[in-house]
Amino acid sequence: MTNSMKGLVKALALGLAAACSLAVISGATAEELSLKGKRIGVSAIGTDHYWDLMAFKGIQDRVKELGGEVIALDAGRKDQQQIAQLQTLIAQKPDAIIEQLGNLEVLNPWLQKIRDAGIPLFTVDTATPHAINNTTSNNYNIGAEIALQMVADMGGKGNVLVFNGFYSVPVCKIRYDQLKYVLTSFPDVKIVEPELRDVIPNTVQSAYSNVTDMLTKSPEKGSIGAVWACWDVPQIGATQAVEAAGRNEVKTYGIDGSPEVIKMVMDPKSSAGAVAAQQPYEIGKTSVDNAAKYLAGQKVPPFTFVPSVLINKENAAEKGKPFLDAAEKAGVK
Amino acid sequence: MSASVLHTEVGVSDEKQAAAKSAGRRFGALVVRLGAIAAFAAIMAYFVVFAPGFTSTFNLINVVEQSAILGVLAYGMTSVIIGGGSDVTEGGIDLSIAANMGLCAAVYATLLSMGYGDFLSVVAAIGVGMAVGALNALAVVGLGILPLLATLAVLNVAAGMELTLTQNTVVGASSPLLGVLVSGSFLGISALAWALIVFSAIMIVVVHGTSFGLRLYAVGGHPEAARAAGISVPFYVSFTYVLSGFCAAVASILTVSRLSASTPGSGELLLSVLAAALLGTVFSRRFVPTMGGTLLSVLFIGLLANGFQLLNVSSYWVNGVQGALILLVVAITSFARGSEGSR
Repeated sequence: MTNSMKGLVKALALGLAAACSLAVISGATAEELSLKGKRIGVSAIGTDHYWDLMAFKGIQDRVKELGGEVIALDAGRKDQQQIAQLQTLIAQKPDAIIEQLGNLEVLNPWLQKIRDAGIPLFTVDTATPHAINNTTSNNYNIGAEIALQMVADMGGKGNVLVFNGFYSVPVCKIRYDQLKYVLTSFPDVKIVEPELRDVIPNTVQSAYSNVTDMLTKSPEKGSIGAVWACWDVPQIGATQAVEAAGRNEVKTYGIDGSPEVIKMVMDPKSSAGAVAAQQPYEIGKTSVDNAAKYLAGQKVPPFTFVPSVLINKENAAEKGKPFLDAAEKAGVK
Repeated sequence: MSASVLHTEVGVSDEKQAAAKSAGRRFGALVVRLGAIAAFAAIMAYFVVFAPGFTSTFNLINVVEQSAILGVLAYGMTSVIIGGGSDVTEGGIDLSIAANMGLCAAVYATLLSMGYGDFLSVVAAIGVGMAVGALNALAVVGLGILPLLATLAVLNVAAGMELTLTQNTVVGASSPLLGVLVSGSFLGISALAWALIVFSAIMIVVVHGTSFGLRLYAVGGHPEAARAAGISVPFYVSFTYVLSGFCAAVASILTVSRLSASTPGSGELLLSVLAAALLGTVFSRRFVPTMGGTLLSVLFIGLLANGFQLLNVSSYWVNGVQGALILLVVAITSFARGSEGSR
């Protein structure tokens, strides 16, 4: 027990050292944080995507690291199941609940019920008035950065294929709105109407056939300049489609930083133009730290941003590697 | 299988032998059936003892509430299986029921969000649900297509129409009716739980307490005998598909109330619906689907997920256990039926 305690303290110290690089972590030292004897409920809409799995894992690992008990619930991308799990979770009266992604319209009444039951609610990547803290990336930045990178690569003019199937997911809304805002300054960059719809499941296949169809519809080289998606799984299908059609003038843009997409951006021959890479594992961990601080009576801000990095063709070799290493370390492919 | 072949072409002594064999099988089936029920009971007993808070009234009402949508759908499926016969490959089955619910939910939520009131939106949703049911009936009864294939095709029609209508997006909805369903309660039981209780009572009475229900079983069990007795088999079979569509529509309204929206992915429910309808047969002595049996298995599936969560066992196990139980029940059913040689 004492040995493992020492290990824990060591791990915490190392974690603190790592955390120091994140400007967002507030002054409280990591040693003070503890979830001993606490039960933390974790509800995720699904874990089929790299980002989701990493964040979900980050939350669980951190709760255990801090000595707490975790009730981990994966709804398998089924709204009905997530609602049922949340309902039962409320009855279980955990010390705090961390909720990760999902349809806000569906979730909000239930998040309200969590608060009504007196259970502190924390969210990961889900902006809702019911949460005490939302830990996420700065999606305003991400959205603008990736849009500006795209506009720069296009030379300020051309047509963009945009996937907009998840506007009801808050982070996608922000990124899409930022794209639109950036484009107001570049009137020669036009979004092709109607927009494309990304779907779950079969995201890659569906994006592949959508982009292939659109390229067939606009056969002249240069008629399409870029493909944009609010996450990077459609980007995989889009990149494959562009390459298969031999339309290498088209570049693809996405957000999240799944290892296979980072590898694509690192490959100079690939059509993947850039990806905004987030730190989902850190985001998950940080949300637990926020919960622990709150339960220890400390003040917690309404949102915490964990830094992200724009990986483009120029910096990919240098900036991409740490993300691939982190993925390997977490054992998530 | 072999028994059925013998039946048609051999003499009295062999028939006696076959009868003895079938009696043996029946006894075996009874043992296995009681075994399955005992397994159900054992799982529940385990939850009662070890899952914290499992038996609290609050928790049990939660489970009833969580089971309402699945329950209503499972009644639709059960009625189709009763009327079409429970032969797994050629009997009655409605694979379109979950997709139909998705379509009805989309219609309901879209109309509400366009500003049409509850009355019109509910009527439209129920109309669409029954129309999809009627399409199934047309394909199965009118065109004589195998239910498995006919309803699979209709599944795709319904799913496609839902996608066209919603563009695969979430359509938010609110209305006075939804408000009552979400937050209403009577005698400490929530509106959604009442919906299941009332719907169950109606289905049990209609199917098990009326001559109509008796004729429905006759149609499914022995269509030739039913025809000889002057029962219109096509009418009864068609009726079950339209009823199934009606159940899909009712479930869609419950879904929209629970999710405050119509969302893509309703089709996912199909497996649980089939599981509930098939598992239910274990509660009947003759392995036929009954409404009561379906209710018990719906609650069992709900309690399984609930108990696992309370025990902090990964939810991934629920699917596995559910699948294993279906396999067990289908195996028992075919075993028990082998002797009867339905054709």
